[in-house]
Amino acid sequence: MSEAPDLSETEALAAEHALGVLTAGERRLAEARMASDPGFADLVEAWRARLTPLLDAAPSIAAPEGLWARIERMLSANDNAVAQRALRFWRGATAGASLLAAASIATAVFLASQPPVVVQPPAPGQLLNASLVSPSGTTPVPLFVAAYDPVRKALIVTSLVQPGTDPVHVHELWVIPADGKPRPLGFIEPGKTKAMPMPANLLPSLAAGSQIAVSVEPPGGSPKVDTPSGPIAAVGKLAQI
Amino acid sequence: MAVATPEDLAALMTRVAAGERAALRHLYEATSSKLFGVCLRILSDREESEDVLQEVYVTIWRRADRFDASRASVMTWVSTIARNRAIDRLRARGPLAYADQIEDLQIPDSALGAEALLAAAGEEGRLRNCLSELDDRTEKVIRTAFFEGVTYEALARRMDTPLGTVKSWVRRGLARLKGCLER
Repeated sequence: MSEAPDLSETEALAAEHALGVLTAGERRLAEARMASDPGFADLVEAWRARLTPLLDAAPSIAAPEGLWARIERMLSANDNAVAQRALRFWRGATAGASLLAAASIATAVFLASQPPVVVQPPAPGQLLNASLVSPSGTTPVPLFVAAYDPVRKALIVTSLVQPGTDPVHVHELWVIPADGKPRPLGFIEPGKTKAMPMPANLLPSLAAGSQIAVSVEPPGGSPKVDTPSGPIAAVGKLAQI
Repeated sequence: MAVATPEDLAALMTRVAAGERAALRHLYEATSSKLFGVCLRILSDREESEDVLQEVYVTIWRRADRFDASRASVMTWVSTIARNRAIDRLRARGPLAYADQIEDLQIPDSALGAEALLAAAGEEGRLRNCLSELDDRTEKVIRTAFFEGVTYEALARRMDTPLGTVKSWVRRGLARLKGCLER
C-alpha cells in the first residue's frame, strides 16, 4: 500500500476517539471538545462513519421477546426524555449561585407523560393564552400554562411542576409588557391551578404580545424591587388562540 | 420487520426526539436485531447483551434531541451507541478481561452469516479490503481496539510493546485506511 499522508493532530485524536483507544479521562475531554467544537465533532462523526461498517459483519439476531416491555418500563420509571431535557434547559438558563436552586426544582418537573391541564374559563375568543417554556430550550416543553380572561379580569395559571418536592423555593409569576419592565403577579405552587384576580393597574400590561415569566425565588418572593432575583425558569407570550 | 430506509429512520428520530414513544417502538422494531447482533459480537454473552440493548434504547430515548441528521446517519448513530455501551460493559468486567495476549485474539471472519456476506459487497466490503491492505499486526490492533475498546495503554501491555510504538502503528494505520477508503 502506498504511503498515506499523516493525519493532523486534531484528526488523529478524532480518529482515536472514534476507534476507542483513548483512556477514560481522554474520552471525557474528547466528548467535551465535541460539544464545543463543531469542526472536531464533524471529524469524529466522519471517523465513526468510516469505522462503523465493521459492525455490519455482526449478523442481525432477533432480540428476545419481552425486551421491548422491559425498555418501556424503564421509560416510565424514570420519566426520562422530556424531564431530562427540561433539566438541561433549566441548568442552561441559570448561572452561578442560582444553579442549585433551579436544579432542585427542575428535578421536580414531571412532564413526559403529563398532558397539560386544560384550562377552560368562559369568554372564548377573547382569552389570551401563554405556554411557558424554558428560555434556553430548543424543544418547547411547557412548564406552566397561563390564560388571561379579560372578562373576569383574572389570570388562570397551571403549574406542571411536580408538587411537594422543592419546599425551599417559590415560583413567582411576572408579566413583562412591551416596555420590558417586569411586574410581579403573585405565586404559583407546583402542580396547582389557580385563578388570580388582576388589579386595575396591571390590566394594560396583560395584552397580546406581553410575556409571562416564572422565576425561582426564596420564600416570600424576589427580595429585589420589581425584578426577579432568581433564574427565569419559564417564559411565554400571551396570544389569542 | 419492515425494511426502513435511511429517510424513514431519520423521520422516526425526529418523532423520538419529540418524546413520541410509538416512534421509539418503530425504531426498535427496525433496528433492534442489528443492534442485538452488535452487542453479542462485542460481549459474546446473551444475558449481558440483553441488558445492554435495553440501556441502548433508553439512551436513544434520552439523547434523541442530540441526533443531528446532517452529521450522521441514524444507523451509524444508534450503532455507535450500542458499540459504546457494550464496550463500557466489557470494560466494567475489569482488567482480567484484558489479560489475553493479543496473539490469541480470535477474529471470526470465518463466522460470517449470509447477511454479512451480502453486506460485504458494500461499505463493509470496502472497509474490509482496506483493512486487509494494512500489515497484519496493524489490522489486528485496529480491529481489537474497535471491538473491545482496548486503550493504547492496555494494547501496549498486552503486546509488551512501548506505548509510543503502538500509538504510531495505529495512527499510521488509520491514515492509510482513510487514504484507501478515499481512493
